[in-house]
Amino acid sequence: MNIIYILIWGTWIIFGISVVWALSWAVGQGHMSNVEEAGCSIFDEEEPIGEMTDFFPGEGPDGAVNGGEDAHG
Amino acid sequence: MADRTSETPPSATPKPDPDALRGDVVRRARIDASCRGPVMFFVLTAVAWLLIGSLLAIMASVKMHTPEFLSDLEPLTFGRVRTAHLNTVIYGWSSLVGIGVLLWLQARLSRSTLRFHKLLYAVGILWNLAIAAGTWALLFSHFDSVEWLEFPVWTAALLGVGFVGVMVVSLDLFRRRSKHHIFVSQWYLFGAVFWFPILYVLANLMIHLGMATGVAMATANWWFAHNVLGIWFTPIGLAAAYYFIPKVLGRPIHSYYLSLLGFWTLALFYNWAGTHHLIGGPLPVWLTTVGTVASMMMFIPVITVAINHHMTMVGHFEKLRYSPTLRFIVFGAMSYTLVSAQGSLMALRRVNETTHFTHYTVAHAHLGMYAFFTMAMFGAIYYMVPRLLGREWPSATLIRIHFWTTAVGIFIYFTGLSWGGWRQGEMLNHDTVDFLAIVDYLIPYLWSRSLGGTLMTIGHVTLAILLWKMWRGAEEEAQGPAVFKEEPAKTKILPTSDGEEEDS
Ligand code: HEM
Ligand code: HEM
Repeated sequence: MNIIYILIWGTWIIFGISVVWALSWAVGQGHMSNVEEAGCSIFDEEEPIGEMTDFFPGEGPDGAVNGGEDAHG
Repeated sequence: MADRTSETPPSATPKPDPDALRGDVVRRARIDASCRGPVMFFVLTAVAWLLIGSLLAIMASVKMHTPEFLSDLEPLTFGRVRTAHLNTVIYGWSSLVGIGVLLWLQARLSRSTLRFHKLLYAVGILWNLAIAAGTWALLFSHFDSVEWLEFPVWTAALLGVGFVGVMVVSLDLFRRRSKHHIFVSQWYLFGAVFWFPILYVLANLMIHLGMATGVAMATANWWFAHNVLGIWFTPIGLAAAYYFIPKVLGRPIHSYYLSLLGFWTLALFYNWAGTHHLIGGPLPVWLTTVGTVASMMMFIPVITVAINHHMTMVGHFEKLRYSPTLRFIVFGAMSYTLVSAQGSLMALRRVNETTHFTHYTVAHAHLGMYAFFTMAMFGAIYYMVPRLLGREWPSATLIRIHFWTTAVGIFIYFTGLSWGGWRQGEMLNHDTVDFLAIVDYLIPYLWSRSLGGTLMTIGHVTLAILLWKMWRGAEEEAQGPAVFKEEPAKTKILPTSDGEEEDS
């Protein structure tokens, strides 16, 4: 069983270190401040907040969805 | 589009000017075009393995209620077919589609084009050959009965080597990222890309080179198998959910802060939970207890993910009607919450006493790998492929058929086996119940799985037909003049065939 203890504690430690390292790197780079902005980084002018980007074929946004009465945005 | 959301955060841009707009279109089209060949290769071969895996699955399933079915062909006996099913769907379907989605997501998130096409094709071909050889060995030769690691060790070595290519490309994309921000999906993907190979190599060394035997082998085995689920498939599935739900809705994640908390707690706790697979086994008790405690801790990341996805969707559920991607992804995200909550409970000794060694565990396994992971990957495919190939899906009806057959199929599969499996466990724990009576009791439930599985397989064939039509259509189109136009539906951007298009 010794090898297992080494394995388990070893990876816990390696993974643990990698997590702590990555987290402190991220904090150091400023990735943990201004997080709401990061959350919006997947949108841009062409695909902005408020517009759906996926529809069944032939049932695009000019049909029922965005312009329709149940549009919430 | 008149309907900008009321909760538009300050960082959202004002009305765009047409030139900037064009820039985004072109940039995105270029990124998608750069992913086209390699990502399609991974997706198409993954779906081929899904079909093979489904065929093997149905054979295995039928054999459990009708044992004489194909029983006189040695390669098709239950032990072989079941194992071949597991390995083809895990390393063939799930891992290959996972790599495809991972590459595309990373390219999109880092806003850089995908390079190293030759390397990626080589990795793809290597993986496919290794899986084919491994599956052949499972059916016709011999294998080690270590679950999830049944492939011969040299196959595993090929898979491991191939993976280095994925790591290189992933780092390259990240290094060239043009946005400072790191979106939460990127964290999950990094976790997947860098933890999986460590795991896979260590586990294979321990087990196949005889470093761990007996109880130690079982522990290493489940430490590995659990982590494959937890830090390979789960992060890819969650990365997809975290990208596509807000992206399709056009609505930022409810709380971005929570999403980060969810990631870091998952990273800390998941790796400890593996021994919950061995509750009741001959391990030192503290080892399984650690697994149980870590499983309870998993409620933290799971609840954060659940709150976040639910709150992002709230008030928008009617949009499931319009977007194929959203349907599959939301189905997957909800299943993630369910399977994890269920798993945490199964890690309690009192519950595990009943459920272990029963079909209940198999139901849980498919709730995770199918209802969560596989459905999330289907959703990703519906979003990616039109953008990669620059054309619309040929048929909304076929997509609907795919969704409903798989959704209803897995529902039947899960409820049948959960109910039957729980009763099975209760009866097994009563030594007054005749064993054969339990076997008889289960037959209708096993039939229900064959029914559900057949529906799911019909769905998989439908997906294959859709993909085949897309691919053929794109090939034909590529013969003609280069296309770069905006679809009337305004959802699809059509890049030229080689990603060499001009900024015109
Ligand atoms: C917090 C999250 C989770 C916990 C605590 C958990 C817990 C468990 C436990 C205790 C078992 C062992 C049952 C037994 O053998 O008695 C199990 C099996 C399994 N779980 Fe989960 N689970 C979780 C999430 C997931 C997810 C997200 C997936 C899929 C992506 C998944 C897939 C599986 C599979 C495939 C098995 C069967 C393994 C085998 O026997 O081959 N689980 N889980
Ligand atoms: C087409 C529908 C499917 C059917 C009918 C089916 C059926 C089965 C059967 C009969 C088993 C053997 C259970 C046993 O040993 O008692 C099994 C195991 C398994 N299948 Fe599937 N399967 C299907 C699809 C999938 C897919 C798509 C995935 C993964 C993405 C998957 C993942 C697994 C896993 C992880 C196991 C091992 C579970 C365990 O040991 O607890 N299955 N499946």
